[in-house]
Amino acid sequence: MRAAVLITRLYPPAVRERWGAEISHEVSESGIRSWPDALGGAARLWLHPGDWPETLAGQTCRVLAVALFAVTAVTALLLRATEPSAALTADVGHPATSLWLAPIVVGIALAAPRPPLRWDALRHLTTVAFRTLTAPAVAVVAMFVTGRSGLIEHPTGLAHAALIVYYWATLGLTAICLCTLIARVARTVTTPSTRRLCAALLLLGTGLALAATQSLLAIVWTPAGTGSLTVTLALGLLAAATISAGQDLRRASA
Amino acid sequence: MHSNDAQMLVLTVLATGPLHGYAINTAIEELTGRKLGPGSLYGALSRLEARELIGPAGEAGERHRTMQITDAGRDTLRVELEQMARVSQTGLRALGIAPT
Repeated sequence: MRAAVLITRLYPPAVRERWGAEISHEVSESGIRSWPDALGGAARLWLHPGDWPETLAGQTCRVLAVALFAVTAVTALLLRATEPSAALTADVGHPATSLWLAPIVVGIALAAPRPPLRWDALRHLTTVAFRTLTAPAVAVVAMFVTGRSGLIEHPTGLAHAALIVYYWATLGLTAICLCTLIARVARTVTTPSTRRLCAALLLLGTGLALAATQSLLAIVWTPAGTGSLTVTLALGLLAAATISAGQDLRRASA
Repeated sequence: MHSNDAQMLVLTVLATGPLHGYAINTAIEELTGRKLGPGSLYGALSRLEARELIGPAGEAGERHRTMQITDAGRDTLRVELEQMARVSQTGLRALGIAPT
């Protein structure tokens, strides 16, 4: 796939629908020297959802709801990559180190699309969910069955590498399919209002900032430096981006 | 060049008449001596359209969207240019140069 097409795909949908062909044409015509500006332009637009024109009413809210779930999925994968970490837990047994999760859970609840309470709509949603989640569900079940069957006790070499690849591919597929499900159902269900989405983005950002702070404190204060600097930076960037988008949306809707 | 500058330039060239994206950038190059990067240009177009300062001039579904300035866009441009003119005149006077 050409770089110009890839770069164009990084733009928010409303911008891509209007200017995608032109952006792609200009990037491919100007070559590599236009890449920083094109990438910077895409990043600036994602941080300023109030600047997006709308093709259909509520498009910005639908896209942001999906983006919020995508950020949550990336965070989950990021933390899974470093687990077990004593600095960032996610269980009620360790309330102090699991505090970061509370605003994130409230944010997700606020941003979740509300299904209409009608039989035909619920039947349609069930069908969409079944079609979208069948593949990751099969992959997860196969992983559990393989793990519990006792067929592979202590894998080594190629088998070990293949199992790790399979494990991460399953997690990645599950994350992508969950975001796809939100994108598909967002067309038919009641999407959250701009106000609720602002609050959801700010809560998610707060949770991520708390997680980044806890991770940083673990690096600074523990003798062995149990935290990961990469994860701390990634969490901090996600927090800054989410809070910035939430504030911009609040400004635009005021 | 800041995003606000890009928006000003786009509004300025669209004040002369409707243009599509590539023609807007060509007009900006004639005006300033350099083209805007794709991120700056189409970011500015998206922001201006979201603020309803510009709008589509042609029919929907055209391959190259032709944009035109709206009445609100003209008002915004006039206010911005008048402010810039005041700053320019003050600066030139401070340098001892008579504004033309």
